[in-house]
Amino acid sequence: MKAWHRYSICIALGLVGGMAFAVQQVRGGLNDGRVSNGPWDTGKSFGTVDASSLTRAKVALSGLLALPAKEAMYFTATHDSAGGALDGRCTYEVRGGKLDGRWWSVTLYEREGWLVKNAANRWSIPAGAVSTDVQGQWAFTVSPDVKAGSWLPTGSVEAFDLTLRLYHPSDDIIKSPEKAQLPVIYRKGCA
Amino acid sequence: MMRRWIFPILAGGLVAFGANQATLLATPYALMYAALNKVSERSPVNRFAFAPMATADNQTIVRPSPDLAYSTCVFDVSQGPVLVDVQPVPDHYWSVSVFDARTDVAAVRSDRDTNGKAARLALMKKGQKAPAGYTPVVLAYDRGLALIRILLANPQEFPAMDAIRRKSTCKQI
Repeated sequence: MKAWHRYSICIALGLVGGMAFAVQQVRGGLNDGRVSNGPWDTGKSFGTVDASSLTRAKVALSGLLALPAKEAMYFTATHDSAGGALDGRCTYEVRGGKLDGRWWSVTLYEREGWLVKNAANRWSIPAGAVSTDVQGQWAFTVSPDVKAGSWLPTGSVEAFDLTLRLYHPSDDIIKSPEKAQLPVIYRKGCA
Repeated sequence: MMRRWIFPILAGGLVAFGANQATLLATPYALMYAALNKVSERSPVNRFAFAPMATADNQTIVRPSPDLAYSTCVFDVSQGPVLVDVQPVPDHYWSVSVFDARTDVAAVRSDRDTNGKAARLALMKKGQKAPAGYTPVVLAYDRGLALIRILLANPQEFPAMDAIRRKSTCKQI
């Protein structure tokens, strides 16, 4: 084998391998600058010039036009609080208390971040849609089937994620999102 | 035998690293370019498009919030500054954010920042001048997107909010 054959093979493999690894990184295979809090993940540099090229690429793919943390924070859960992957054929209870910001909502998405078709035409639970008890606690159900009270339909999709938006978060949450009091996600059962 | 492969493998490693970084760097530009073209289908450049509420059947941009009314202006400052005037919405969260071609946020103004008054931004590139009364936003790229978000308390509010937001303008000087 001639030298240029060896160079051609290695360079071609390098080109394809480097690009394929980048695609795998962007599609979520690796953790880059993410901050975890229970089942929720977020980042501190979304939408800013401080974001790494990987963070910027990941946000462009699954959260294009995200706001910087001082305006809004985005916490995404792909797993429940016990670590099980969120499955649209299962029923979950999302339970939380006062969130330290001006307004919040939880929205259900599939794949890279698309709203799921469902008969109820309901895709999110905003703060005003839950009832709080005297301790300030609230809960809603995520389920493929109609449920009493605040209910977020899954559309029976195989996999989904939940995004918690917190607008005008407090300085404490911006600084230390890993310490924020965020909702828990309990799996109650599967069809 | 193996010694003949050492330099080709090193060359392949360098190419792999370069291809990886180039792909990561190019991804935001490519996705933003696609988004700008998609939004441009709704309205000409340098003019706001007032989208209906996001639903499963109406999703222009990934991860939309069904609680927010979105208005978008694809801007191009190559021929001069673009002025963005945002009509305030009383007693509601609203904001205008400016994204450049690399997806970075060049500016955000919300009702909290303006104390409920209108937001007036002059989008421009280096060397251009903002008119009096406008906050200059100097951009690293000619094209980008200005996005107004208005939080609705419930879907029934949409007609009233829609009437207010249509007073917002995006125009080239």
